[in-house]
Amino acid sequence: MNGRLAARLAAMPLSGRIGFALVLFWLVVAVAGPLTAPHPVGKFVDEEVFSPASAQHWLGSDYLGRDVLSRLMWGARYTVLLALGAAALAVATGTSIALFAAIRGGLVDEVISRAMDTLISIPSKIFALVLVAAFGSSLALLMLIAAFTYIPGNYRIARALAVNLVGMDFVQVARARGEGAIHIAWREVLPNMIHPLLADMGLRFVFIVLLLSGLSFLGLGVQPPHADLGSLVRENISGLPQGASAILSPALAIATLTVGANLLIDALKGGGEA
Amino acid sequence: MAAPAANAPVWLGLTRVVLQRIASALLTLLLVSIVIFAAASLLPGDAAQEVLGQSATPEQVAALRHEMGLDQPAVTRYLDWLAALLGGDPGRSYIADMQVTELIGARLVNSLSLAGITALVSVALALTIGIVSAINRGSKLDRALNIVTLSLVALPEFLIATVFVLLFSVKLVWLPSIAMVSPEATWSEMLRSMALPVACLTFVVSAQMARLTRAAVADQLDRPYVEMARLKGVTFRRIILFHVLPNAAGPVLNAIALSLSYLMGGALIIETIFSFPGLASLMVNAVTSRDMPLLQACAMIFCAAYLALILIADIVAILANPRLRS
Amino acid sequence: MPPAGPPPISRRAVVGGLAGVGALALGGCGASSQRRAPAIRGSIRVATQLSSTNDTLDPAKGATATDYTRHFMLYNGLTTIEDESLVATPSLAQTIESADRQNWYFDLRRGVRFHDGSELTSRDVVFSLLRHKDPATGSKIATVAEQFEEVTADGKYGVRLRLTGANADLLTVLAQSHFLIVKAGQDSPDGTGTGAFRLGDFQPGVRTVVLRNPEYWIEGRPRLERVEVIGIPDEVSRVNALLSGDVQIINAISPHSTKRVEAEPSCAIMASPSSLYSDLVMRQDELPTGNPHFVLAIKHLIDRPLINRAIYRNLSTIANDHPIAPFQKYFNAEIPQRVLDLDKARWHVRKGGLEGVRLPIYATTAANGSVDMASILQEYGSKIGLRFAVNRVPADGYWSTHWMRHPMTFGDTNPRPTADLIFSLFYDSKAEWNESGWKNERFDRLLVEARGSADEALRAEIYGEMQQIVHDKCGVAIPVFISLIDGYDKRLKGIRPIPLGGLMGYRFAEHVWWED
Repeated sequence: MNGRLAARLAAMPLSGRIGFALVLFWLVVAVAGPLTAPHPVGKFVDEEVFSPASAQHWLGSDYLGRDVLSRLMWGARYTVLLALGAAALAVATGTSIALFAAIRGGLVDEVISRAMDTLISIPSKIFALVLVAAFGSSLALLMLIAAFTYIPGNYRIARALAVNLVGMDFVQVARARGEGAIHIAWREVLPNMIHPLLADMGLRFVFIVLLLSGLSFLGLGVQPPHADLGSLVRENISGLPQGASAILSPALAIATLTVGANLLIDALKGGGEA
Repeated sequence: MAAPAANAPVWLGLTRVVLQRIASALLTLLLVSIVIFAAASLLPGDAAQEVLGQSATPEQVAALRHEMGLDQPAVTRYLDWLAALLGGDPGRSYIADMQVTELIGARLVNSLSLAGITALVSVALALTIGIVSAINRGSKLDRALNIVTLSLVALPEFLIATVFVLLFSVKLVWLPSIAMVSPEATWSEMLRSMALPVACLTFVVSAQMARLTRAAVADQLDRPYVEMARLKGVTFRRIILFHVLPNAAGPVLNAIALSLSYLMGGALIIETIFSFPGLASLMVNAVTSRDMPLLQACAMIFCAAYLALILIADIVAILANPRLRS
Repeated sequence: MPPAGPPPISRRAVVGGLAGVGALALGGCGASSQRRAPAIRGSIRVATQLSSTNDTLDPAKGATATDYTRHFMLYNGLTTIEDESLVATPSLAQTIESADRQNWYFDLRRGVRFHDGSELTSRDVVFSLLRHKDPATGSKIATVAEQFEEVTADGKYGVRLRLTGANADLLTVLAQSHFLIVKAGQDSPDGTGTGAFRLGDFQPGVRTVVLRNPEYWIEGRPRLERVEVIGIPDEVSRVNALLSGDVQIINAISPHSTKRVEAEPSCAIMASPSSLYSDLVMRQDELPTGNPHFVLAIKHLIDRPLINRAIYRNLSTIANDHPIAPFQKYFNAEIPQRVLDLDKARWHVRKGGLEGVRLPIYATTAANGSVDMASILQEYGSKIGLRFAVNRVPADGYWSTHWMRHPMTFGDTNPRPTADLIFSLFYDSKAEWNESGWKNERFDRLLVEARGSADEALRAEIYGEMQQIVHDKCGVAIPVFISLIDGYDKRLKGIRPIPLGGLMGYRFAEHVWWED
């Protein structure tokens, strides 16, 4: 297993390896960061606000005088895990529905496809606003909203792939053997579309990171005193004219995370097709 | 499109596709209105309470509810609204004491102009970047463009917008920081005031389109027919224009349509930062004031815009690609 | 009718843009000559922090700074407040008489005309005052208007007002925007007032345009040709709009942004200490917030110096859990200042059986500083076993969907000119905006007593006791009084603080002028 991963990595172009390193770095920060954070996330540690990096505060202090490094470590956890969870949920749900629609076909396919159009055409941020107003804000709801937003997109891709595969000989053979729909979906169709689906999940991950930061602009992000990376950028935006570390660090974090994920996806895609 | 006789079956087929799609679009619109209505009924409070304020007497609220028809069962209200809409009347705003059409009118024009201008700019930009990097794939130029498009999507749009305002409005004083389109503004003033919002939205939507265009075009370029045509001595330019692009049109147009549909409802953050009076912020207003007729009207417009875009994309793809016509 | 549409406002000339490049190259900030100025002389744009489809032309329904600003441009009141002394002077009424502070006689100014040309008469005044008592009007200050027992016309220009009890502050009350005079018979006023400006364009949630009223009854006013009021809810965007010259005056600048505005040579800030406060509202009709021990625990849990320093950059005034600011009349200096006291807070938590209480606090950007105050409270709460969750909700719609509707929310109270108004609007148990839903009979009785008393010493004593009652028992915690910070283009002259609210107590448009 490890050997295959190493071989895969070695075969990647440099950009893919950089992407892998960036993604791995942020995964490690997300998991271990909060354990090593020098200060509690909501603690007021500095009398000055927007102070530059120093020995005590490696990334300076934020608009209220809290430690940016500690907040960034927590923020990375929220952003990475929320986005990863939501992306996985979106892809799992979207693909399951797509397989169902593709294998059943006909009216079922038509109704599901229209339902997906319905979802996609409601502006996601406004939909989020309604849901938060109705159910209150929570991490689970945020993840559901993000997942919901990207189910239709994944559905479109997965359905297109699955419809192609369903028409192929080996699936027809399986059908003739009398295999059930679940067997066909799970054993025959899914394994043949796993690569593009993984790439799609990576893409959704990037979109969700950005969607979450958009939601935080509207005050719908992770609740204070915690903050995801997008909220960190948002709450410190008045430090932008002076180029405060409090806003540059989280912005850079988002940028490296999304670029890293994109580079990795590109490399995987190339490898998958070859 | 010059040879009418030969194309007759195409138009026939197209008409059938369009009719089918319009039928399913109506179904989708119906579904959207139901979802919106259901979601909005989950919200606490209603328009009568919104209008009267916190400690209005129960009698006051009940009276206003009756006047607004809010004391009817939800299903009745929905069917009434639907019947009125089918009769061409989207209703009256609960809050602003105006017809919904009146409230929406100017803002719809604003949103459409913003989306339209952004579409022109971003599609041209994205296609250029995508095609150029596909043709030169693997080269330094391709890699540079790849990095550019990647960095475009890497930052939250509110940050991009704020940086633009600081740079172009506050520092350079080139462009206005707010995009209030006054009715008395001239065309050039309107374009100036919309420059920054358009630039920001272009940033947001172009990158994805460019990357998908590159992928689709590159995919076609790797096919055997391109090599064949080359061997036959067809010029590269001709191959791109008449063979590669029509074949790549399907996925590219789909990506464009999806990205552009974001420009209407997704422009919320840009509308907020530039105080742009568009439909997305109006819809948010409708949500928070529980103004159902206004909310429904906005949702219908967004949904219709999305469906229209997808339909246009499909039609153009069919027209562009001879193989799809049959 | 207003003139047929104003000339277009052109954007700044190309020359300005080129000069701007030079400024960037030098790394300096733009000088005033480079920044855009309005093309028509005396035409300015104002940006306030709120604007929605709830925007109204009806003074009785006014609820935001944007509404008040709009109303003061279009209408006049019987009295007006024009400087920091906060003394109400006659406006549409030329003389006012009262022997007992309960029966009042107003003699109206002659020859004042509405924008449609009709003359102001006693009929309009009677209509304007009485409509607050009609539930159908939906007046925001119906409880204040309840004291109008009878309002009658006495001839064409005389109005008699009988109150249910004496009120020494009546003239100040009548100077509020809600009591501005509209035209008789207009159930939904359309902007036709006697004010310094006529309505040009009104689009709720988008903009209000007003044009100079050339027949304004005060000689020499107004000096601006045209004022456009827009809403820019996002503070950073609002400051940017001022710095880039797209608007000429803005309100509600965050203390964190004052440095930016001051760094721009052509702009200035106007900060005035005010009695504006964001308060933590603990509903008395719900639990656990209705538990007196809970209220006192919270009041001892507030680190006021930290709030002043971290959130307001030391620009606020420490408050003492009652709504009268130290610089206001009748301030009771003898109530000991409440300070952060974790032991006392802990004692109240134990005494009230409140250990381990979990509760959401609703905060929003619409209530100044509340999100950060809630974060601070959460931090301290965790030290004494109270587990708060900060629920940050969107500003849009906060007042109608969250404020006072959960056990713990934040309110945001604009300055009012008299102790009577503050107490009767927000602390009277029958008031529409009795935020915590508390009820104290002695307080309600004292309120009426002080209102009618002509004896200043007695009033001071009563208001002093009322502050003590609120400090001890009311379900609101008031950490600090927030200074109001406006920003403006220095070419706008005549601006001075009136501590009733931002933008010269919302009345700036009539007083200021433009000088290049």
